[in-house]
Amino acid sequence: MADSKLDLLQGTLDLMVLHTLETMGSLHGYGIARRIEQVTDDQVLLNQGTIYPSLVRLQQRGWISSAWGVSNSNRKAKFYSITKDGKKQVRAERANWQRFASVMGQVLASGEGGTQ
Amino acid sequence: MTALRQAWARVVSFFRKQELDHDFDEELASHIELATEEHLRQGMSLPKARRQALIKLGGIEPSKEAHRDTRGLPWLDGVLQDLRYAVRMMRRSPGFTAVAVLSLALGIGANTAIYSVMNAVMFRPLPVKSPGDLVILSWRAKQGPENSSPEPPGIKIVDGNVYTEPGGARVSSDFPWPFFQLLSKQNDSFAELYAYKDAGQLNLAVGGAAELGRVEFVSGNFFKGLGIDAAAGPLIVESDNVPATSAVAVLDYRYWWDRFGGSADAIGQTVRISEVPFTIIGVAEPKFYGVAAGSAPVIYVPLTSRQPVARNTGSLDEELTGGMFTDPKYYWADIIGRLRPGATMASAEVEIANRFRQYVLGSVSESEAASQRDYFPVLWLEEGASGSGSLRRQYAKPLFVLMMMAACILAIACANVASLLLARGAGRRREIALRLSLGASRIRVLQQLLTESVLLALMGAIVGGGVAAIGSRFLLWLLAAGRDDFQIRTVLDWRILLFTIVIAVVSGIFFGFAPALESTRADITPSIKGTGAAARRGRKHRAGSYVLVVAQIARALLLVLGAALFVRTLLNLRSVQLGFNAENVLTFNLNASKAGYKGSALIAFYAQMEDRLATLPGVRAATVTGAPLAADSSFRTPVTYSGNKKGSGSWCAVGPTFFQAMQIPILRGRAIDTRDVENSPLVVVVNQAFADKYFPNANPVGEHIKIVDGTDVTIVGVAKNIRDSLKQEVSPFVYIAYRQNYLIAAWRGMYFEVRTASDPVSLAQTIRKTVYETAPNVPVAGLMTQMQRIDNSIGQERTFAYLCTAFAVLALAIACVGLYGSMAHSVSYRTNEIGIRMALGAEPGRIQRMVLRETLLLTAAGVAIGVPTALFLSRFAQGFLYGLEPHDPSTIAVAVMALAVSGGIAGYLPARRAAQVDPITALRHD
Repeated sequence: MADSKLDLLQGTLDLMVLHTLETMGSLHGYGIARRIEQVTDDQVLLNQGTIYPSLVRLQQRGWISSAWGVSNSNRKAKFYSITKDGKKQVRAERANWQRFASVMGQVLASGEGGTQ
Repeated sequence: MTALRQAWARVVSFFRKQELDHDFDEELASHIELATEEHLRQGMSLPKARRQALIKLGGIEPSKEAHRDTRGLPWLDGVLQDLRYAVRMMRRSPGFTAVAVLSLALGIGANTAIYSVMNAVMFRPLPVKSPGDLVILSWRAKQGPENSSPEPPGIKIVDGNVYTEPGGARVSSDFPWPFFQLLSKQNDSFAELYAYKDAGQLNLAVGGAAELGRVEFVSGNFFKGLGIDAAAGPLIVESDNVPATSAVAVLDYRYWWDRFGGSADAIGQTVRISEVPFTIIGVAEPKFYGVAAGSAPVIYVPLTSRQPVARNTGSLDEELTGGMFTDPKYYWADIIGRLRPGATMASAEVEIANRFRQYVLGSVSESEAASQRDYFPVLWLEEGASGSGSLRRQYAKPLFVLMMMAACILAIACANVASLLLARGAGRRREIALRLSLGASRIRVLQQLLTESVLLALMGAIVGGGVAAIGSRFLLWLLAAGRDDFQIRTVLDWRILLFTIVIAVVSGIFFGFAPALESTRADITPSIKGTGAAARRGRKHRAGSYVLVVAQIARALLLVLGAALFVRTLLNLRSVQLGFNAENVLTFNLNASKAGYKGSALIAFYAQMEDRLATLPGVRAATVTGAPLAADSSFRTPVTYSGNKKGSGSWCAVGPTFFQAMQIPILRGRAIDTRDVENSPLVVVVNQAFADKYFPNANPVGEHIKIVDGTDVTIVGVAKNIRDSLKQEVSPFVYIAYRQNYLIAAWRGMYFEVRTASDPVSLAQTIRKTVYETAPNVPVAGLMTQMQRIDNSIGQERTFAYLCTAFAVLALAIACVGLYGSMAHSVSYRTNEIGIRMALGAEPGRIQRMVLRETLLLTAAGVAIGVPTALFLSRFAQGFLYGLEPHDPSTIAVAVMALAVSGGIAGYLPARRAAQVDPITALRHD
């Protein structure tokens, strides 16, 4: 299974994380990783550790913020939430992606059942 | 914007490493706990749940590393890590580090020292307002036809500076006052023009005793226009520009402290400059040292007050003094222009040169204007940002030669360190191969090795800073060559720092690159195994280091040969037979003209001084001359003999006891003596060369000749030849009696020679005291022994000899270290081979000879390359040599011997070590 993971484009994971935080509200690192695994049927994350560089990047750009809190099971954990800048960014990026995906879809569909 | 914020966040994170690491540790721990908890809920056992959590995370350390790389500045982390590692490696081999740092320090230090002097002389801008806008007005005139006067037509230069260029053209920055006024009134290129005149050392007296100090006459707009502020009081202003009304003076900051202790009381005091009183009104700010590098004035006075001072110093005749502000042909004032906004040097030059041409043509007669058309001076502009260029003209060439030598030293030092690094690279082969095989990229290892060499170079630069500090002082001392008014400050400014850092980094990369490439070659296996297979590559590798060593020896030979040539020149000059006894003679200069003595009173003053000095206890004899002896500084004169035959010679005024005091035999007739006084018939004594040339086979005594301006004099005696210059053969010479008062170079004063019974220096204080008691307003200048004075006249030769010797010793030492290092390494590399040879019966002596032979072969190869190169290059040194040819065989032999001996010494230790190899150990070596 591991060798069939998708190679992610640069920045794709960042968008996934942003989107997750936008829809789910405040979450800790493990929670974000689990959520992405569930939504993608475990197809993208090579391992959960890769979520952290993404979180650092987003935080350095000011799109998310973090604070220590307590989990449902009463454990200390660092919670991330999306900022106002982040929301603006995720909207723009999402639109971009949808356009990109649909264009790619069209291109790739045009070859299907082709002349061969 | 976002990128900026992210970059900033990375920098911040870089400095908050520990805190963030700790935070992330906790975050990871909580991640694992959360994961374990979930796994437990799914029914796993605790150990399995934990293991699964770790697996899914992808390991703690990789996560941390990825986090750190994203968070901070990984490349900087890399550099720091490399630096730490480099320091560790250096500490492990202190010998190597010391040798490398030392040779680099010498190389870099020599360059920095010379550069800091060059900077002071040529590059450093004046500390004035917008120095970039300043230009210096100069002119150049083609040399006229053979018989015309030495000065360009339409020009009188009496007390200015004219340089003769190699092609014979004359260059000067002196202009007539009417031209300055004309230009100040009307021109399109300059916002403002400033004029000044460096009056040289004049008598300054505050209260009683007088001393010598450099005086500068400046135009009223000088300080304000250049943006110089006052440290105290006001400065000279425009209203002081009215001729002869305003006798005010501004002090140099240093002089204010030296003479007045920086006290405000100085303001309002009277300073007498050549007996003309001036009132001190202010002090210029400390950063200002005048506009000419190397000669800082101690006092500034308005240009318009030049007349009374010139009248008192007697340096000009009355016609020039009276006409200095009106005579269109008398050239004396230096002019600096400040370009108008929008004007360029090129456009300004076109305009001003045209105006100057019009001026010159207007100042001469119509016939002269037509006939001399091609020989009039042509104006050109020089950049003025770093001040006026008299010093630059004088020192640019020697400094350039020195810079080339220093660059040569640095190249040798670099080659040296490179060969040491090559040798050591072989020793570190295993370590590097291991790092490569563990997955470090070649680039990464290269970066590591280059970091090490740049660090070495920077350490060299730091130590080199100390070398430069000492070196530049030595250099200035040499360049000053005994001139006491030579002032150059080398200040550590950003240019010098930048220069040093740049040459350090460039040399670090330069000497580190090849060895680094060599030792990161990808061929790993044999190196790790460390067996004989590596030896093959080792040989190739040694060849690289040999090439470097040979190149170093060749370069060292160049410097050693240069030094040998200059030292022999110096020795030749010092062993010249002077023709008079220069031992135990103290000399000094008195200039009573500057204190206002004139005519008969002036002669009486010197005569009285002669008599007083001769009667001092401890003094055998005392005399006086118009020029220092054997210092190449007497005057030239045309000579008319036997009716109307023309010749030439040199002349010097002497006192009545001159020949006796200096122990110069009189061959015919009589010496100049006390009979020769004012109003007695004018007499001269000629030297033998004069008699031989102009009166061959005849007795010149009693003959009449005409000298200088056509004065008729009678020859009363012939003296034995003495040298007037160490560098030139004896030429016809005429001694005149100064007490007859018909030729005295008032501006120069007179030189006293006092022959003492014991060490002349012990009498220095007595002489100062005697002169002070006789005339407190005439300061003693340039008090030194006759030998010192002669030595100073060959200052340039001495400078070259000393510097080249210093450089040659340096180069030789560095080359020896390189030779030693590379042979020592070669021996340790070949321990195996040597062991086999010995096991097969080679005696230790033979092994020793083998290694020594190899060393000497390398030396011979270096010499074989060096000698032809030296023969080619030494032609350029011809002008600096005396008494020998640049390809003097014995000098070349000496240089080659020096190299051979040094090579032998460098090779001896490794050879001995080779001979002591124990075959058993050697064979077990791998």
